[in-house]
Amino acid sequence: MDRSATLRVIDFGTVTPLRSQTLWHAIASGVSAGGPPTLAFCRPGGRYVSIGFHRSIDELDPEMCGPTGLAVFRRMVGGGPVYIDPGQLFFQMVVPADWATARRGETIRRLLEPAVAAFRDVGIPASFDDEIVLGDRKICGHAGGQIGGALVAVGNVIDSFDHAAAASIVRAPAPEARDEYLRQMRRFVAATPTDFDAFVAAATHRYADAFALDPFPGDLDATERRELDRLDRLFVDPEWVGGVEGRRRPWWRVKVTSKVWVTHARIDALRVTAAFREGRVRSVRVCTDDGVSVATRNVEEVMRRFGAPRIGELLEEMAAGAPA
Amino acid sequence: MATVTVEGFPVRTEFSYDLTHHMWVEELGGERVRVGMDALGLETSGTLAHLMMVEVGTEVARGEPFGSLEAEKYVGPLVAPLSGTVLAVNADAVASPSLVQSDPYGAGWMVELSASDLEGERSGLVSGDEIVTRFAQKVTEYRLEGVLAE
Repeated sequence: MDRSATLRVIDFGTVTPLRSQTLWHAIASGVSAGGPPTLAFCRPGGRYVSIGFHRSIDELDPEMCGPTGLAVFRRMVGGGPVYIDPGQLFFQMVVPADWATARRGETIRRLLEPAVAAFRDVGIPASFDDEIVLGDRKICGHAGGQIGGALVAVGNVIDSFDHAAAASIVRAPAPEARDEYLRQMRRFVAATPTDFDAFVAAATHRYADAFALDPFPGDLDATERRELDRLDRLFVDPEWVGGVEGRRRPWWRVKVTSKVWVTHARIDALRVTAAFREGRVRSVRVCTDDGVSVATRNVEEVMRRFGAPRIGELLEEMAAGAPA
Repeated sequence: MATVTVEGFPVRTEFSYDLTHHMWVEELGGERVRVGMDALGLETSGTLAHLMMVEVGTEVARGEPFGSLEAEKYVGPLVAPLSGTVLAVNADAVASPSLVQSDPYGAGWMVELSASDLEGERSGLVSGDEIVTRFAQKVTEYRLEGVLAE
């Protein structure tokens, strides 16, 4: 790689929820047009919900999100609905699309590795295991994609995390399903309080070093500012936010981490909620409409108690289903 | 219909290929073509979580997106191997992206186009006797880059 190449670094500081999304999408347009690789940072000034490009708006709780609740913005990269608040620092690495390797997952990993090193520089012994983790806990939400002629990888540093608020944004089919989602999030998603400015400095050093680029403080150019105006309008357009009709699934499912997910389905009068980790049952709760509720890690016990071999079959199907 | 295995990947030899973007083209008669993703492209994409295609009637240009895919939280374009107008979208594949991975050259097709310049753009595709050699070269290239394991 050309040593004389540069890395534009933009720290936007605290910005509105809308701008915390549209700014880096505008940078993608600039990089697509030949602008320099760019590392950007920002802190959202308020709470909102961000939903992935392909995901259905129906996944969100209509009372918590939308006109009567938190603002919802649809991003152009992947992943599911996420709760955002001022306790998070966003970072985005935006590079030309021809930096991609043929294997997409590998491309994202390469674009996140310097962030992992930056976590370690500020005293958080993070590692990459499908996502950025500390031990078995996810500490950074990430997503990636190609926007025009730019590759984008985004992530966050979580100073504090409101697990209950994060669980509340998802439309859950039953109270026990939301409770289980919250329980698993508390177990497997963790905040890593740190000095944001120290992380910004460390990440700048690590990204510049990893890609052999000379960092310089920059700002949006005129073309990107025009694109920003367009994106500001697009991201509040109900048609854009609404997206497309979601995939129909045989049961409700929500991802907690890349390895942990919670599912819920109904079999006749029984409601079955299960948590899985790497395809193995972590917990099962079976509820009936007349108030019986049994929670266990023992699938055999559930089947014996309710005399329902279909529960076993259902759990096998749920376990086999990869999290989306 | 002939399917051969090249370096571990199935390849339909009567189709034409855009090996840069891993798309195949089946000529259905006249200007009508069917388009899908080849097995090597699917291998390097990872498990498909979502597919989205443009609407029927949309004009697409060769080298430009006709839809998008998502795998491993990465959203990327599906790149048209030919220019034309979308005549049909495989709704089954959109509803169940796993269909594309289980049957990439059959039930997992993506769109059908009325190609606007089939004669002119056909030469940009790999076809006939070249397919097996060029596909094998691509696999070798990916292995040398570490994209594919031995």
